[in-house]
Amino acid sequence: MAKEIVDVLIIGSGHSGGMAAKILTEKGISCLMLNAGPVADVHKDTEPKPAYALPFRGFKQPGILPHVFQANEFNANTWVDEKEVPYTYDSQHPYNWVRVRLFGGRSLFWSRQSFRLSDYEFKGKSHDGYGDDWPISLADMAPYYSRVEGIFRVQGQADGLPQYPDGNFVPDTSPWSTSMQRFVTAGKQRGIPVCKARSSLGVDGLASSVNLLLPDAFATGKLRAIPNVVVRELSVDKKTGLINEAHFVDRISRREMSVKARVVVLAAGTLESTRLLLNSKLANSSGVMGHYLIDQVYGPGIVCSVPEARDGKATSELIGGNALVPRFRNIDTKEKNFIRGYALNIHSSMGPMDPRNFAAYGEDLQKKLESYNGSGFHTSLMAEVLARYENHVSIDKEVVDAWDIPALRIQTKYTDNEVNMARDAVDTSIALAEAAGFEVLSKNYDPNPPGYSIHELGTCRMGDNPKTSVLNKWCQSHDLKNLFVVDGASFVSSGWQNPTMTIVALAMRSSEYLADQMRQGNV
Amino acid sequence: MEVKPLSITSIVPDAVARTDAHFFTEQQTATLHRLCEIFMPPLKGYPGAIDAGTPEFLDFLIGVSPADRQQMYQSGLDRLDAEAKQHFGASFATLDKPQADQLLQPWLRTWMTDHPPTEPYAHFINIAHSDIRTATINSEAWSQATAKGQQTQDVGLYWFPVDPDIRREAAAPTHRPIPAKRHS
Repeated sequence: MAKEIVDVLIIGSGHSGGMAAKILTEKGISCLMLNAGPVADVHKDTEPKPAYALPFRGFKQPGILPHVFQANEFNANTWVDEKEVPYTYDSQHPYNWVRVRLFGGRSLFWSRQSFRLSDYEFKGKSHDGYGDDWPISLADMAPYYSRVEGIFRVQGQADGLPQYPDGNFVPDTSPWSTSMQRFVTAGKQRGIPVCKARSSLGVDGLASSVNLLLPDAFATGKLRAIPNVVVRELSVDKKTGLINEAHFVDRISRREMSVKARVVVLAAGTLESTRLLLNSKLANSSGVMGHYLIDQVYGPGIVCSVPEARDGKATSELIGGNALVPRFRNIDTKEKNFIRGYALNIHSSMGPMDPRNFAAYGEDLQKKLESYNGSGFHTSLMAEVLARYENHVSIDKEVVDAWDIPALRIQTKYTDNEVNMARDAVDTSIALAEAAGFEVLSKNYDPNPPGYSIHELGTCRMGDNPKTSVLNKWCQSHDLKNLFVVDGASFVSSGWQNPTMTIVALAMRSSEYLADQMRQGNV
Repeated sequence: MEVKPLSITSIVPDAVARTDAHFFTEQQTATLHRLCEIFMPPLKGYPGAIDAGTPEFLDFLIGVSPADRQQMYQSGLDRLDAEAKQHFGASFATLDKPQADQLLQPWLRTWMTDHPPTEPYAHFINIAHSDIRTATINSEAWSQATAKGQQTQDVGLYWFPVDPDIRREAAAPTHRPIPAKRHS
């Protein structure tokens, strides 16, 4: 209805927007959700196809999605097109900004790894003197983590390690394969914990906002959602100084529209939320909006072969399974050339080996592939990136997107801490693999470009001090009490952990606080 | 009224047709052809790169690729041919396998996804090997061999454009000229 004032406007439909919608509507608050992209239906929008039936035989179409390393010809239409929504960066310091605007966002495709941050992350500065502590601790977040883990059905095993906090798990009682046990033993001999991985089982094969969170919100009758609208900017009521309106454009028709709201919850994803606020010129009295962009180092790792599994001898008892080496550096020890820490994903598989592990071709390569088939064992890095003021985003006034909305300029780079951590991780992987009796075939020390992890965080960081932070500990703007930013933008540090559980728990916590504040008439 | 599906059985062009190559020079094409024969010969009932139409497909693929990829292939093929002439007095296209091995094997590397060798010529040799394998294994000819061997065909879940922006091509972002950026 024209000229309606909605109670809460939620911008974004991914994990954080979905949780905000669920909590607020279940507390009786009417919400309107805007999403920049369409609703996807896997039954209508997908089809099994062999690679030879695709225009480029499975090669990514040349020239498109150059910064989405995860893209291939099968999934190319799921990612935001870089020409349609461009961004800029210094050519010496590339950034991979990976986005999905389908309804549900990246929650449709995430890796499911599910971890809590520990107080080594929440109180990192207290531990090692670098950066800033979060204004909250694990104790503040634990009740929300438990509820989120229950919704997402996180499978795991209690390990009793402070850096790998236990949670509300569907028990993982699977035994280690023999090769995994050898790796575990090698770790134990070096004081390096090798633990069961933790992953969201979800429901019916999906652990997304669209199947775990939004259905509950829609069931209340209090959520309305509009797909295919791109929010251009937010504006404030000159009398109250509070946000009161969102201006958006229909993605297909280009029709310009606006809607008034009493409260705005931004959940567009870290950098889109920040981009919207920067374009709106709001909520930045601190001057730190856009700064302290963080993500996680991915890319370094090793590929090995378990000799006993070669030449047709691989069995499911010997090969298979996943493990997680949680941060073990800079817990009780102090490394010489880096602070904070990293985790290692461990994976073994009876599948075929990648030919790039053998410097061979033709018949020689074929013999290797047959011999090594089923013997694979891999490690890969997930490492904390230090929060630095100078790693930041701003608006590029020279570039606009397909709807004439100014683009984001991203300026960030890794430094010695990240590089040294990656080197330690690969060397440690090699030492453990060799101690376990594996043959190391390939190794990579070089981080993938910043952003590759798809875990961009920060740029609207939370804190108790309005002069050095954008949001308070409830993800509420210090400047505008009716503005909340509930996605990864609020993070103060990245940790090594996949941020999804923390993002969803923060969104739950903030939404409950918002609902209470609205009930009291404070917002 | 029930709408019956149309009884159209379609095949891919590669089942009967070959790709007309336009991008590489005659010499580069001959070099690429021999490289495909060496890197991926027919083995164990599966087609080699030539049977799969790989040299022609790569001519097409590289011909529509960004300039840096084109330049990598063109200079790589030129250098391979130059080295053949320097070492053996003959074009690479005419070398026997032992001779070709002498020129190729020293440049092979092990590498992991997203991190191919950075030295330009090693980059070309290893990327070309990977591309030749991918183009061959993803070919219609390979799938026929898979079917004959009664192995499960490799299919993936293809996403169609979802509610595409009909103005996508027309509404290119506006910007003032900025220094050329080298995409990864």
